[in-house]
Amino acid sequence: MIEYIQSTLSTWPHLLPMLPQLIVSGIAIGMLYALIALSMTILYRATTVVNFGHGDLVMLGAYALFILLPMVTFNVALESSALHTLTSFVPPYLIALLLALAVLFAIGYILHRVFIWPILKGPHLSLALMAIAIGYALRGVIRKEYGKEILQMPRPFEDQAYEIFNFSNMGTYMTLDEITFCGVVIVMLIVSYIVFSKTRFGQIVQAMFQTQRGSSLVGINVMYYNNLIWGVGCSLGALGGVMLGLTLVLDPDVGVWTLLRGFAAMTLGGFGSLYGAVIGGLIIGILEKVLGVFISTALVEITCYLVIILVLLIRPKGLFGQHATLKI
Amino acid sequence: MKLNRSIFWIFPLLLLALPLVLNQYLQYVVNLILVYILVGVGFNIVVGNLGQLAFSNVAFFGIGAYASGMLSYHLGWPWWITVIPAGLFGALAGCAASIPALRGVRLFYLAIMTLAFGELMRWAYIRVPGTGGSMGLAVPEPVGFSFGDFSWAMTTEYDKFYVFLFIVVVVVIAASRLLESRFGRAFLAIKNDEQAAAAMGIPTGKYFLLAFALSGFIVGIGGAMYAALGLHLSPEDFDLIQVILHFAIIMVGGIGSLIGSILGSTLIVAVPEMIRHFEWLVGSEEWIFGVSIIAVILFLPRGLSSLLAKFHPIFKDRYYRN
Repeated sequence: MIEYIQSTLSTWPHLLPMLPQLIVSGIAIGMLYALIALSMTILYRATTVVNFGHGDLVMLGAYALFILLPMVTFNVALESSALHTLTSFVPPYLIALLLALAVLFAIGYILHRVFIWPILKGPHLSLALMAIAIGYALRGVIRKEYGKEILQMPRPFEDQAYEIFNFSNMGTYMTLDEITFCGVVIVMLIVSYIVFSKTRFGQIVQAMFQTQRGSSLVGINVMYYNNLIWGVGCSLGALGGVMLGLTLVLDPDVGVWTLLRGFAAMTLGGFGSLYGAVIGGLIIGILEKVLGVFISTALVEITCYLVIILVLLIRPKGLFGQHATLKI
Repeated sequence: MKLNRSIFWIFPLLLLALPLVLNQYLQYVVNLILVYILVGVGFNIVVGNLGQLAFSNVAFFGIGAYASGMLSYHLGWPWWITVIPAGLFGALAGCAASIPALRGVRLFYLAIMTLAFGELMRWAYIRVPGTGGSMGLAVPEPVGFSFGDFSWAMTTEYDKFYVFLFIVVVVVIAASRLLESRFGRAFLAIKNDEQAAAAMGIPTGKYFLLAFALSGFIVGIGGAMYAALGLHLSPEDFDLIQVILHFAIIMVGGIGSLIGSILGSTLIVAVPEMIRHFEWLVGSEEWIFGVSIIAVILFLPRGLSSLLAKFHPIFKDRYYRN
C-alpha cells in the first residue's frame, strides 16, 4: 500500500505540465455537466420536483435533432418551400436545432400537465417513480425505433483544435466544439439569471418556489407556469443533449450517466442555486480529469458518485445551497 | 365471513404441489418470483414502512449475490452455508447506506445518494479483484444441503424451488411478525411524522439503522438465491433497470404491504415473460413496462393490495397481533 502511494506520488512531477490541459479539458466537459445541472435546477427551482427522468429527456433532445435534421434538409431541398427562403438567412442545422428545442418544450409541457400535475399532492415516492418511469418509457420507445445500430450525430461544423497557450513546451489545446459549448453555457447562465431575477416571469416562478399555495392565493395560475417551466427545463436539457451527442455518443442508455453527473453538479453547487449548478459542474469536470490522470483512470467513472456521497455527508448544503437536512 | 389469518398458510401448502404440474421453464419463473418476493419484502421495509426514499436496494441485492457467489467460488463453500453470510453482508451494506440517513439526509437527497451508492457498488463489482470483472462471476453449482460426506446438489429447478420456498416462507413470517410488533409501529410513526415520533420518545436513529440493516439482510438473502438461480453474475444485472424493477414490484403491489410484495413480484416477473412469447411485441418490453408503471401510479397509487383490502378486510396490513 505504501509503495503504491509512493509510486503514484513519484509520477506527479512528470505529470504537472499536463495540468493546464487537464484543467481546460475539465472545464470543457464540466460545461456539459453544468448545462444539464442548470436545466435540472431550473426545474427544481420552479416546481420543487426533482426530475429523476431528466437524463432520458436529455437523450431525447439529441435524438430529436437527429430525427429532425433530415426532415429539415429534405424540405430545404424542395425549391418552392418557405424553408428554402429561410435558409438563405439561417443554416438548416440551426433551424433543426430550434425545432428540436421546440419539440422538447412541447414534450415537457405535456409531461408535466398529464403525468406530474395530478400526482403532486401524493407521496414523494410516486413523483420520483413517475419521473423515472417516464424516462424509462421514452428510452424504450427510442431504443425500439433507433437503437438497432450505432448512429452518428450530425455536426454543425467541423471540429478543429486551437492552441490557447503554451506552458513549459506543452501546448494547451481546445477544440472548436469545446469553445462553442463554453460560450453557449455561459450565455445560458446569464440568460437564466436575468430571467429569474429581473423579469416578471422570473418573479412569478420564484414566488411559486417559495409557496405554491400562497402564489395561487394571489392569483398566479400555478399549473400554467409549472407547465411552462417544465417545457423550458426540458428544452435546456435538449440543448445539453445535443452537446452530449456531439461530444460523446448517440446512445439510448446515456440517461443514467447524465442524471448522476447532473445530480453531482447540483449537489456540489447546492440545490436550487443557478451559479452553484454551473460551478459544481465545472469543478466535477476538472476533478474527473485531474484525478483520472494523477491517481488512477479507474476513478474517472466514480468521481461524481464520491462527490455526491462526500458532499451530502460533510456539507449537505453544497457551496451555495440552502438547508438540506433534517435535524432532530 | 369472519376468517382467521392462519388461513394464509394454505398458500405455501398449495404451492408445494406446483412442481408436479409445471415444466422446468415455468418452474424457473416461479423461482424468480420467489427471489423477487424477498426483494419486495426487504425494499418495503425501508420505503414502505419507514417511508424513506432509499434506492439502495439494488446495492444490497448485488452485494448479497456477489457475496454468495464469491464465497462459493473462491472458498468452495456449499451454497446453503453462504446464504446467511450473504445476508450479513447485505446488512452491513444496509448500515453503510443508513449513515447518511442518520446524519439527517432526507427525501430526494437520500434518493440521489443511495443511487450513487448503488452505482458505486456496480463499479466495485468490476474493479474489486476476485469478482470476475465485467465478464462476471460464474457461480459453481449450488449445493442445497451437505452433512459430512453426504451432499444434495440443487441441480433441477424443482430442487431449488423447495429450498427457496422454505426460505421465503420463513422470511415472510418473520417479517410479518416484526411489522406487527412495536418495531413495525415505530416504523409507521417515523414514516408519518419523524419529529413527532422523536418527541414521543421513539429512538429514531436506532430504528433507522434497524430498518436499513434488516432490509439489507433480507435482500442479501434474495441476492444469494438469485446467484443460485442464474449461476452467472454480471455487473449489468444490477444497474438502474433493476432499480425500476424493484420499484415496480412495490408500487404495483402496494407500498408498505407484505401481500403487496408477493402480488407485485408475481405480476412483474410473470407478465414480461408472457409478453416475450408474442412475436409482434418483441423489443417493446421496455416502453410497455414504463407505460404500465405510469398507469399504475396515476390510477392505482396504493397498489393492488388496496384493491384486495377493499374486497375483504383480512387482506389489510395489521400493525398489531391478536
